[in-house]
Amino acid sequence: MSILEYNGGCVVAMAGKECVAIAADRRLGIQLQTLACDANRVFRMHDKLFLGLTGLMTDITSLHNSFDFKLNMYSMREGRLMSPQTFSSLVASTLYEKRFGPYFSEPVIAGLNKDNTPFLCAMDLLGAAAYADDFVVSGTCAESLFGTCETFYRPDLGPDDLFETISQAMLSALDRDCISGWGVTVHIITPEGVTAKSLKARMD
Amino acid sequence: MERGGFSFDNCVRNAMLESAGYQPPKARKTGTTICGVIFEGGVVLGADTRATSGNVVFEKNCEKIHYIAPNIYCCGAGTAADTENTTGLIASQLELHRLSTGRESRVITSLTMLKQMLFKYQGHVSAALVLGGVDLKGPHLYTVYPHGSSDSLPYVTMGSGSLAAMAVFEANYKDNLTEEEAKLLVKQAISAGIFNDLGSGGNVNLCVIKKGKTEVIKGYAQENPRKYRRPAGYSFPTGTTSVLESKFQRPVSEIAVVTEVVSESVSMET
Amino acid sequence: MDSIIALTGDGFVMCAADMTNARSIVVMKEDMDKIMELDRHRLLCMAGEPGDVAQFTEYVQKNVHLYQLRTGVSQSTRAIANFTRNELAKSLRKNPYSVNLLLGGYDQHDGPEVFYLDYLGTLHKMPFSAQGYCAYFILATLDRYYKPNMSEQEALEVMRKAIDEVRIRFLIKQPDFLIKVVDKNGIRTVSK
Repeated sequence: MSILEYNGGCVVAMAGKECVAIAADRRLGIQLQTLACDANRVFRMHDKLFLGLTGLMTDITSLHNSFDFKLNMYSMREGRLMSPQTFSSLVASTLYEKRFGPYFSEPVIAGLNKDNTPFLCAMDLLGAAAYADDFVVSGTCAESLFGTCETFYRPDLGPDDLFETISQAMLSALDRDCISGWGVTVHIITPEGVTAKSLKARMD
Repeated sequence: MERGGFSFDNCVRNAMLESAGYQPPKARKTGTTICGVIFEGGVVLGADTRATSGNVVFEKNCEKIHYIAPNIYCCGAGTAADTENTTGLIASQLELHRLSTGRESRVITSLTMLKQMLFKYQGHVSAALVLGGVDLKGPHLYTVYPHGSSDSLPYVTMGSGSLAAMAVFEANYKDNLTEEEAKLLVKQAISAGIFNDLGSGGNVNLCVIKKGKTEVIKGYAQENPRKYRRPAGYSFPTGTTSVLESKFQRPVSEIAVVTEVVSESVSMET
Repeated sequence: MDSIIALTGDGFVMCAADMTNARSIVVMKEDMDKIMELDRHRLLCMAGEPGDVAQFTEYVQKNVHLYQLRTGVSQSTRAIANFTRNELAKSLRKNPYSVNLLLGGYDQHDGPEVFYLDYLGTLHKMPFSAQGYCAYFILATLDRYYKPNMSEQEALEVMRKAIDEVRIRFLIKQPDFLIKVVDKNGIRTVSK
């Protein structure tokens, strides 16, 4: 079993018209044994920037703490919030710094730029960034998620339609993965605010 | 505080995990076809746009032609993180060098920097590059291998699709090509890679560098446009997904109240 | 082969651990205390390599004490959990500790809390948890019988059920379990 599959979990982010949505499952497991159904993989960095991390839970926690710290230092020094583009550079270089002994975690960054256009980015565990304007996926069922997102995605969806689309894409993909699932949280980020929804999903 | 550069902190832990039986994950590679050709008065670089993670296409339209200097560009094959960070590092170093010397960068300078860095890491930084540019000495085209060697040639190909691309070059290359002929030749070579190599795909991106002018053409050719898509799309009416709970939070800036505090003038006492 | 269990009740945390110390095929002693008292209101249940366990848990205990001496305030359970996790995560990359822990504590503000902490540095707050092979039996039993905010009597019943399950179904003989309870008054031993 790969190290990235030790704890299980997956994250997907999708862009709409002046909004982004990021969804993650809630399972925390030790290989095939499930430990908890309330693990948190998506973290709010600031109002218009969310970070989703998959892979080994201990590295998710370490990375999240590290980015929180760096973001807070930046905000205090610069007196402004970090833009999503800058944050993705920060994440990439933090990961690449450990090129020969990497963190086992693959991040997904979803946010809104200053002009409220969506920003999406996914990286592999070494920090190679892939920017997209439709959707990005990461985790144990990434391949299933690619399939469902590719099929369900339409450009320029409003927040409600985007929520339905990303939820259905996530739920369908989770059904085909044993080590992800057990609940889903979806955050829909718009200029007016962030809506966090918890979905009714199959608990297996 | 951090000093920059590579940090080897995790190595012991990762070795322990590996000995416990967990396979290390595969990083994203660019399967890739990249190539370059010298024509009369300049260089044309070409690349496909597919990034793979194992057997899955991670990105259908990624940028493999990296900026090094206004007159120098570099295509990268190998581990995506390595090519991006290596070219980015050398681009920064060259910018500082330009500011220090006050002159346009030479291609041979970037070549030497890249070679020395890759050799230092003995091939563990897996970046195979096609470096091209035009400086005061004319057009230059080089390949750099992950272990730090390089070749200087009039036409070069790298990546998993390099054999397909090289076949096209060997058949059709001639000296003193015009710009249009060179662009067409590169497009044919990359297309050969896209069609015949499974690790390459997507569009053909070109970069044409001439003395004093550089042009990056994204999507010069779109070889395999997606034809079959359900015209109606899939739309889910609102309420399809069952929601357990929903919470809305306004942005912090709207909640927090900021008041300006005007303090009495404070005089300094020396 | 250690079995450790922790669950939260109404204003208390109950921790149980087997008392067997074995190495390979030999049982060394049957009265080992695997539940360390970090301070007046925190219990640390330990499982794993004996040397690493002894070293690491004493290190944590002394650091908790040091913080209290330096600042005059006790750390919250969550703070101790995060401190321990950071130590595990840091040393994982240099000199890994093969230690699995359950941290149970009663906090003035947050009430009773149980934190699951494994050797990789995975930290998760849970209403009840178990470490070791016994977890396969215990988690299932607790899933069935556990209710939030149980009284101590009810919690003891549930704990007994879980321990009985281990006794019946687990390959290794673990006859004795030590049960400790921590609440706002401190730590008590309810021996099994």
